[in-house]
Parts: sequence; structure tokens; C-alpha cells
Amino acid sequence: MTSAPDRSTQLFLVGWLRWRLFVNRLRTSTGKLNLAVQIITSAGMGLGVLGFGFALGLGSWYAISKAKPALLTTELWLVFLFWLFFPLVVSGFGAESDPVSLLRFPLRYSTFVLLALAHGVFDPVAAACLYWLATMLLGIAVASFGALAWAIPAFAGLALLNLLLNRAIYAWLSRWMAERRTREILGAMGILLAISGQFIGPLTRRYGHLALPWVSRIVLAARFLPPAIAVSTIAAGRGGSGGKACAEFAGLLIYSGILGWLLAVRLRAEYRGENLSEARRPSVEVHAPVRAGWSVTGVSPIVVALFEKDLRYLLRNIMGYLTLLMPVVVIVVATMGRRGSPHPKVTGFMLGPSTYFPMGVAYVLLTIVGLAFNSLAYDGPGLPLLFVAPIGFRDVMVAKNLLHSMILVAEVILVFVLVQFAAGPTPSRVVGLTLAGALWALLLNLTAGNLISLYFPRKMKLGQMRRQHASGLAMLGSLGVQAFVAGVAAALYFLSRWAGNTAWCGIGFLGLAGITWLAYRRVLNLVTGIAWKRREALLAELSRPD
Amino acid sequence: MTDLAVETNGLSRRFGELEAVRKVNLRVEAGQFFGFLGPNGAGKSTTIKMLTGMLEPTAGQIRILGLDLAKDPIGVKSQIGVVPEGLALFDRLTGPEYLIFAGRMYGLDRVTAAERTRELLDFMGLADRTKSLIVDYSHGMKKKLAMAAAVIHGPKVLFLDEPFEGVDAIAAGTLKAMLNRMIARGATIFLTSHVLEIVERLCSHVAIIDRGELVAQGSIDELRSGVSARREDGQKLSLEQIFLEIVGGEPAAVPELSWLE
Repeated sequence: MTSAPDRSTQLFLVGWLRWRLFVNRLRTSTGKLNLAVQIITSAGMGLGVLGFGFALGLGSWYAISKAKPALLTTELWLVFLFWLFFPLVVSGFGAESDPVSLLRFPLRYSTFVLLALAHGVFDPVAAACLYWLATMLLGIAVASFGALAWAIPAFAGLALLNLLLNRAIYAWLSRWMAERRTREILGAMGILLAISGQFIGPLTRRYGHLALPWVSRIVLAARFLPPAIAVSTIAAGRGGSGGKACAEFAGLLIYSGILGWLLAVRLRAEYRGENLSEARRPSVEVHAPVRAGWSVTGVSPIVVALFEKDLRYLLRNIMGYLTLLMPVVVIVVATMGRRGSPHPKVTGFMLGPSTYFPMGVAYVLLTIVGLAFNSLAYDGPGLPLLFVAPIGFRDVMVAKNLLHSMILVAEVILVFVLVQFAAGPTPSRVVGLTLAGALWALLLNLTAGNLISLYFPRKMKLGQMRRQHASGLAMLGSLGVQAFVAGVAAALYFLSRWAGNTAWCGIGFLGLAGITWLAYRRVLNLVTGIAWKRREALLAELSRPD
Repeated sequence: MTDLAVETNGLSRRFGELEAVRKVNLRVEAGQFFGFLGPNGAGKSTTIKMLTGMLEPTAGQIRILGLDLAKDPIGVKSQIGVVPEGLALFDRLTGPEYLIFAGRMYGLDRVTAAERTRELLDFMGLADRTKSLIVDYSHGMKKKLAMAAAVIHGPKVLFLDEPFEGVDAIAAGTLKAMLNRMIARGATIFLTSHVLEIVERLCSHVAIIDRGELVAQGSIDELRSGVSARREDGQKLSLEQIFLEIVGGEPAAVPELSWLE
């Protein structure tokens, strides 16, 4: 008989496991290249984090030196909200809680809890927030060393509270998202929330004055929320009211205690073996008639069948088509109330009514790019059928390109109608230039997207947003194509203006579209051979079991 | 001369340093119910993946119904049906949608695909789940659906990778009946299975692969007499005994684990 290893051994083993998983991912050249891309992108973000930390430190120093507690509170609110919401925005909502997968081993409960917390601490967002809190402490120390004695426990309490809150939210979301349907509904709600966020600006402009009394009440209530309590702790301590400072600090601990209890309830249930798998409910037997598939005269029945399959997949991915709707919503928001405006003003991201349509089309194109550069992402488990069936992969890509093009056309029409309705007619010259440019950009993106989808695919799961990204190389390729499109479009536009007739720009776009069409056809003819040669890598990446 | 449904010459597959399949020469005659056996990691799945075009051989030639797979992959694929290891299901379609899709991928017109879909759903006992997405099916239901998709176009050769794994006795009975009917109509079935009793009951011929090499091939009776000739007890051997004799895995030879005594 053996006994379970002690906690430190278990933690060491889990750390070793993570390390080996990381190292083994680097065995392939794609893995190494993806890491390189990740390092480059992280370096960019790291600079932002460092810079923001410097600004926060400076702000804290100023807030303490000039006795401006409101500034310190604002800074702490920023860190608090970033820590709370950014992980959700970046990694989305997920159903998996990592330590749960280790429960088949004799894991001690204390190890399980520590692992769940470590998941929160070793998160890049948490690391950034902890660094920011440290720079703020430094700023406070420089301004008044005496304030540091109260700032350290206050900030530590706030960090602990943030960590527990973050973990509790993830644990409870995991519970609610254990089933596919709830997961999709919550994911869709998340996207709707993001979409509704777009309305805050215009609504504030229009109805802001009505909301003012409510805002002041919220500010008053915010006094009892953690960032404000942390600042009150420091202020009371500095003012010599040790008892009040202790009482304020106790408030932070009470919050942490409640959150810790909520987290413990969930972790205890998970530890006891609560089944969070996709349990099937007994379903009502349905004997529905079987309808024949679609048919389109003049189009290969195989392409039609593939198109039908891809469209059904899209329509069953609530989050997918809400993302596709996003550009349309943004257009509605951006053009809200612009019709008949005598002096169109510069808004957050649009210059004037004549640019609404081209900007809207550019945004729509960007959403399509996400699909086109990883077009096999959702075919995962079914992909082997496309290799054992007597079809060429050319048909597979044609069907996907057709679907993406049709979505683009539908959205461009919608954007056009909305812009005309909301901001007045777009000059016909602008419409012509935009459509010619969009045609070229679409063809170029489909051509590059077809190749990148075959060379750098990344499996994605429907109805789940958690940690789902295209491969780093695909993202880099897509970025390169978009930079090329933007650069060439700008050059063509300014050259034609310099020549005195922007129609040349349109002719240039159409010429480029013609050349790109030939390249697109050429790539399509190569696609079957490439897929056949790369079938092993494609099946390994896309059809691997979860 | 007999028609060969599956024929390989010097079929090999290397993964870096590892030669997973080495110079395999398979001969499967048309109309045979053929079992492809081997211990775990012997090269069964690698071989079946190469035979169905999902994996490129490092060397050697594959001919299915006389057609060279490398030269005419589309011609070969239209004659075969496959239930691969992962079942190859598009799980966000419903059962009928998937079967119609699979039928059309094999060139059936939409009406025929729909008619055969109805028939297959009834046969497989899936007709009452026509609205459910495949992702919500049980494992056994998924297996039956994958089998239905593999036969919807009436293939002449059917490749099945572990078709009875995770299937209950009732469903297994249905599948066996269907496979026997296909054999009666002249189709060839090539299956891998770990359940040797099933192989013995269904298959007329078997081949055994061990460590990437084909170590035996022929009818079960031929293999039995070959092995019996080497033994002195004269008893009639089961396929399991033949298998263990050939791959050298006699239970008595298994060493004991010191901490399990």
C-alpha cells in the first residue's frame, strides 16, 4: 500500500507536468514558431504594462503628496476592474477548471485549493495587476514612507480579494457552463453585453443628463466597495486613526471571507467528484421526416452539399454569427443621429458621413478574415470524411469561400442601407471605390486564407470561446495581408488624388482584383494536392481528440 | 485467377526513426470477410489509414479493386466505405443531415441520399432521434451512424477500424447482420478488432501484424492447421490461441509484478 504524497510533492509534480507539456509543444517547428510569435506579441503588451505601471506609480505619488485620495481610488478601481474583466474578455467563458482533471489522482484537498488559486496567480493579467499594485506602493513610499505601513496591508488585502473574486467567478461559471446549451447561451449573453457596451457612448451623449442623479448615488455606494475601502484604510492610518484604519481593513477581509466561502463551496463540490461533463438529458423521441439536401442549378452538388453543411454549422454557432453581426451594430452606433448633421464632427473612429460606408465595409472584411484564415477550424471530428470521400479539396475550399463571400455581400448591403438611412446618401464615387477595393481585398484574403488554412490550421470548438485563437503564424500572415491591403489602397488613393481623378484608384483596384482572381484560381487548383500532401498534419491538428 | 479487393506490395510507413509498418504484402480477395489483427501498437491503424488514403505510405504500393490508390485516389475512394478510428462525424449536424451529406459526398443525388438515409435510420434504430445533434448522441449511436454513413453509397470494399468497440450487444447484433448481408451480396469487408471472438465468428480470413510486420495471413483454418502442426497436444485451437501462438504472447510467459503478489 502506498500513501498519497505530501502537498509540496504534489505541487512540484503538477509544476513539472506543466513544464513538460510546454517543452513538448516545442518539439515541432510550428510549435517553436508559434512560441516566437507569442513572445513578440507579449513583448509589445509587456511594454504597455510597464508604461502603465510607471503612470500608476507617478499617480500614487501625486495623490499622496497632494492629498488627493480620489485619484488613488480611481487608480485602484482601474486595476480592480482590469483584473476582474480582462481575463473574461481575453479568454472568454470556459467550462474547464484545470485542477479538476487531476482529481483521478489521490490529490489532497489543500493541494486542489492551492492549484485553483495558483491558476489565478500565474495568470498574465494577475501578474500585470500585481506589478501595478507594486508600482503604486513604490509611488506611495516615495511620497510618504509612513503611509506605506497602511498601504501594504490594504493593497495585499485588495489583491487577495481580487484573486478570490476572479477564481470564484471562474468556478461558478464553470458550474453553469458545464452543459453545451447553457455554455452557448452564456457565451451569447457575453457577446450581447459587449455589443451593448457600444451603445454606452451615444446613449450617454443623448440621455446622460437624466442619468446624473443615479450616477451620484452609485458613487456614494462605491464608498463601500473594495478599492474605496483600501484608500480609506490608508487615509485613516495616515491621519493617526489606527482604530478606523483597522475597521476599514476589516471590511476588506470580510469581503475576502465571503468570496473565499463562495469559492470553497464550489471547490468542495468539485473535489467531491461533482460531474461537470456534458450530461445528456433523456430526450423526447422525435420521428421527424427526412428532407433531401439543397440543390442549386449550375453548381456542383458536392459544393452545394458542403456549403449547406458549413451554413448549418455557422447557424448553430450562436457566438459565431453574433460576432458577424458586430460590424452592423457598430455602424448603427456610429451613425446614430448623424443624418442631416450640418457639421459632421470627428467621432471616436469615424471622420464624416462619406467615410462611414468604406469604414463599415473594412470592418466587415476584418470579421470575414477571421473565418477565411482558419477555415477548417470547426471541421475537426468530421474532417477524415472529407479525405476518404471521392472529392477534391478544391470543392471544400470553394464552398467555404462561397459562404464567406455571401456573408460579406449580405453584410455590405446591410451596412450600405443602414448608412444611407442613418447618415444620408454616400457619394456614388465613394461607393464605387469602396466596392472595387473590397472585391480586391476579398479575393486576396481568400487566396491567402486558403493557403494559410491548410498550412497553419488550428482546431476550434463550437460554442466555446475559451482560449480559442488561430495559430500565431496564421494571425501573423493575416496581419501581413491586411497591412499590404491598407498600404496599397492608401497609395492608390493618394496617387489618384494627386493625378486629379480618384476614378483611377477604382480602376487600379479592379486591375488588382483581376490579377488576384488569376492567383486565386491558381491556388484553388493547387489546394487538392496540398491538402492531400498535408493530410496527416491536418488530421493530427484538427481531428485530435479533446 | 481470383480478383483481389485489397493488395499491397512492400507497404511501409516510417515516423522519424520508427518504422511503424514494414514491407507489408496483403492479399484480400473480393468477397472475403477479412480480419486484421495485431497487438496494440503493431501497426493496424497505420495500415488501415494508408489503405483508405488518410496517411501517405513511405514506400510501397496499394491497389484497391485493381486501382492504384496513389494514381487514382478519387476512383478508389468512390468504391470504398470507411469507419475510421475517430468516426469522422460532423457533430453539429443532425443524424439525417449527416447521412445526406455523406451520401452526396459519395456522389448520390439528393433524392436517393434522402431515401437511403430514411432506410438506414430505421435499420440502425436511430429514426427517433432525427432532430438531435450528433454531439448529443451516445457513443453507440455515433458508431451506428458512422457505420450507416460508410455504407450509404453501397461500397464494394468496407474498411472498419474497431467497429464493435463501445457498442452494446443489441446494436452489435444489428451491425453484424448488416455486414453479413453485405458479404452475401459480394462486398469485401476489412476490419480490425481487439475482440477475437467476434473476428473468429465473422471473418473467413485474417492477417496478423506484429511490430509492423505481417506475420501471418490466410483463412482461419489455414492458420489453425499451421499452428497445430507445431504443437503436440492436437486440440482444436481458438483464434485467440492461434493469435497468442503467432505473436508470442502466451499468458504463461507474462512476468509477474513484484508488488501485486
